[in-house]
Amino acid sequence: MLLWLAHVAALLVLPFLTVGVVNRTKSRWAGRKGPRLFQSLSDCLRLLRKQPVYSATTTGIFRAGPLVLLATTLVSAAMMPVLGAIAPVSFPYDFVAVAYLWGLGRIAVVLSALDTGSSFEGMGASREATYAAFVEPALFLALGTLAAATGHGALADLVGLGARGPAQAAITLACAATLFVVLQVETSRGPVDDPTTHLELTMIHEVMILDHSGPELAAIQWASALKTTLCAALVASILNPLHPADGLLLAAAANVALTLLVAVLVGFVESLVARLRLRAIPAYVSVATVSALVALLVTAWWQGNAR
Amino acid sequence: MILLAVASITLLAGAGLALGLRDNVHRGWAAIAAQAIATGLVLSIALPVLLHGGDLRHRVAWSYPVESIAVHLDPLGAFFLAWSLPMTLLGTIYAFGYLRPYFRTRNAGVQFALLSVIALSFVLVYTLESAFAFLLGWEIAAVAAWLLVVWDYRNQKIRFAGFNYLVSTHIGLFFLLAAFMVLHSRTGSMDFQSFSAFLQQPSRARSIAFVLFVTSFGLKSAFFPFHTWLPRAHSAAPAHVSALMSGVIHKAGLFGLLRIILLIGQPEPWMGWYLVSFSAASAVVGVLYTTAQRDLKRLLGYSSTENVGIAGIGFGIGLLGLAWHEPALVALGFAGGILHVLNHALFKCLLFYAAGAVYRATHVVDLERLGGLARRLPWTAGFFLLGGLAISALPPLNGFVSELLVYAGLLSPAVPAGMPRAFLVGAAALLAFVGGVSALAMARAFGLTFLGSPRDAGVHCEGEVSRWLRVPMAVHAAGVLVLGLVPAVGLGLVEQPVRLFQALLPAAAPIAGLGPVQVLAPVARLGLALLAVLGGLVLLRAALARGLPAKRHVTWGCGYGAPTPRMQYTGASFSSQLAGVFYAVLPHLRRERLPEGPFPEKAGHVDTHCVDAVEKRMFEVIGEGDDLVTRLAPRVPVEPGVSLGAGLVVLVVAVWLLLGGGVR
Repeated sequence: MLLWLAHVAALLVLPFLTVGVVNRTKSRWAGRKGPRLFQSLSDCLRLLRKQPVYSATTTGIFRAGPLVLLATTLVSAAMMPVLGAIAPVSFPYDFVAVAYLWGLGRIAVVLSALDTGSSFEGMGASREATYAAFVEPALFLALGTLAAATGHGALADLVGLGARGPAQAAITLACAATLFVVLQVETSRGPVDDPTTHLELTMIHEVMILDHSGPELAAIQWASALKTTLCAALVASILNPLHPADGLLLAAAANVALTLLVAVLVGFVESLVARLRLRAIPAYVSVATVSALVALLVTAWWQGNAR
Repeated sequence: MILLAVASITLLAGAGLALGLRDNVHRGWAAIAAQAIATGLVLSIALPVLLHGGDLRHRVAWSYPVESIAVHLDPLGAFFLAWSLPMTLLGTIYAFGYLRPYFRTRNAGVQFALLSVIALSFVLVYTLESAFAFLLGWEIAAVAAWLLVVWDYRNQKIRFAGFNYLVSTHIGLFFLLAAFMVLHSRTGSMDFQSFSAFLQQPSRARSIAFVLFVTSFGLKSAFFPFHTWLPRAHSAAPAHVSALMSGVIHKAGLFGLLRIILLIGQPEPWMGWYLVSFSAASAVVGVLYTTAQRDLKRLLGYSSTENVGIAGIGFGIGLLGLAWHEPALVALGFAGGILHVLNHALFKCLLFYAAGAVYRATHVVDLERLGGLARRLPWTAGFFLLGGLAISALPPLNGFVSELLVYAGLLSPAVPAGMPRAFLVGAAALLAFVGGVSALAMARAFGLTFLGSPRDAGVHCEGEVSRWLRVPMAVHAAGVLVLGLVPAVGLGLVEQPVRLFQALLPAAAPIAGLGPVQVLAPVARLGLALLAVLGGLVLLRAALARGLPAKRHVTWGCGYGAPTPRMQYTGASFSSQLAGVFYAVLPHLRRERLPEGPFPEKAGHVDTHCVDAVEKRMFEVIGEGDDLVTRLAPRVPVEPGVSLGAGLVVLVVAVWLLLGGGVR
């Protein structure tokens, strides 16, 4: 019960804070003071009070999309190791469920984009679906490798591989690198996507939601902030040297700190690296896949030797 | 056993009545009534076997050269019977509505009769254990399916598709015959039980028979690269035939595969690896083709190749588990694979029926010409969406349950550490890719057909289809929901068949039952949690709206003031990025005449089609094989890439001959 409370509390605060930290990092690099840390929360609350405008072309699917996205992200959040290698809901191969829940959320938004009949939104939908398909193998290779290395199938257990030996350290680092790229693709961050651009032709995620307004837009923004946090927390909990056995509070605090550190890193990359050409994105994703493959081969070699 | 015979005779009588009665309506009713009675009879003996286990055996004396036919109903056969017959009945009901517009002009009795004959072939194939009788049932299904496909035989394209299917299915039959001949030469019998005694011992003949069986059953179930007949046949046939072929009839290939695995008992690991890699290739190539198709039914046809691949991966894991004596792998692999067979039948028929409803309402299945149908066909749109989400294995629907089991098998800690584990994790990543691409393909298919605005003013929609078409869809949709939200139902159905495979393990290995599968029980609550959260959000959204009517405006056109429906994103553009990366597998034919000059007088046009790479190469080799060799020969000494490849081929053949000669 306490775990649930702490988990929910962390998930209420962290998403907006993570987005705030990313934006603050970017503004510091640009020499600006930057918005308040919880600016995105205020934005969401403001959007909730607005009355939306719907395109006359759309059907109920357009309105359901954002809600499905938010619902899937919320349910998946219960399985994610936000506070270290521990989660309120945990069962073997729950990461498959998480990945497919995100898939459901994605297809809901893709369909609501197609529902408007706009060619710009169709373009964004096509890109989102394509890059998601490319990044999926990388995600499964990384998590599958960790599952093979730890012998556990549940997300909360498999992140606790640690760095006890050189092989484990290599696997941990390679998987964390893969999942960092997965974060950038899944949550539309630079250098894959530019969340601040205003040119429809170059956008991926933002162009899909051009027609969404009011509470629907708030739902999408909350969901993507939540997803950013969940991905960052996943990377953080893999890198987290502390295990809940070493002290629950300590491990949780380290995990939150690491999550924010990952957010800072996201901001760094976005400030320092130019956005990739769309054609180069599959190559960039393949870097993540190869990194995970290296981790997989190291695991096979290490376990083959140990046997 | 008497009941099975009565059911068969009822089906034959139904077929005879469907041919003999004078009026199409009566013919349809006769077929439906006969199938309903036969389904009831078969279920009354198949369900107890399926749910409680057990074996029903019977021997029928027959004249020379068959001598005796062994009838054997075990949980595996009962499982396939338990859904094949009801689904064929639903297909017949759908056919009644689908063929109705032709009732005045055509004799639909042939279709109804053939549907009953298909049901009869299921009774034969799933219960008979003699090679002769098995082949008879097999052949009845193949020929009946061919006749069903060429319903619109006046169209030359459809005749070609039907002929293509007939040839392919008979090539499969040759492999099957060859395998039975190998076994007959070793055992002197045509009985499956006597095959089993021989197949239990590893030998070279067993390996050859295994490869022959996998090839034949792979052709039947349209595994890559034996799938070339499938997209043609499925786009040519009437919707109910496409649905039944893809969802039900071709599952006989997978049944055959399972039956052979049961006979083999103790496989070698290479068999499992062979099946896993063969199936994984099938899944990946099949799903890539679904992304680029213009024809809705062709697209769905390719997704069959993908889904049999997923089921095959499950069977492969099970085989590996049998070879390694790992009960957990046997349970997960076979439970996932067998459940996926049922799930695929549920959602694939649903999708084909919905595509047929689109055709009935608009007379078009070309994605680039459709659009905005969700307003005109709300029921069909809902059913298609449900099927599309289920086939992409998204929770909380049934496809997710079986794929989760397959994933659990691939990632199981029971897999030996080292390279085997690495390979299976790699296969899991491929399966994840398949899932992602499948979601793209289904979003594309649904989005282009049902969302946005109509793309072609020339396409006229007649409005929602009749109840005859909607009721079968509703039943399938209910199955998709029930098996997804209450996974225990599906697991209950596959439990006894899976126990058959677990019983093959040596006595020393612990019988785990479905224990390894039960670990995944929390997934049942996942769907409910998702629905609860979604419900809460919908209520919250309604509260925020405070009952105010929503404002309506045009779609934001990024400042452009005169958009037309033709400017919507097209199917080709939706998949172009993925198709560009996989150009080698997805070659596009492009016909174009571009407008010339700054003020073009003639309108230009561009037309792209995704063609099947395997079929293209096959026809190339058959049609201009010697030409190809003459063109290639001078390049060998000049181009290092070609000469290296040629050298490699020679080396492989030489080594294979040497090693092959050395073994025996």
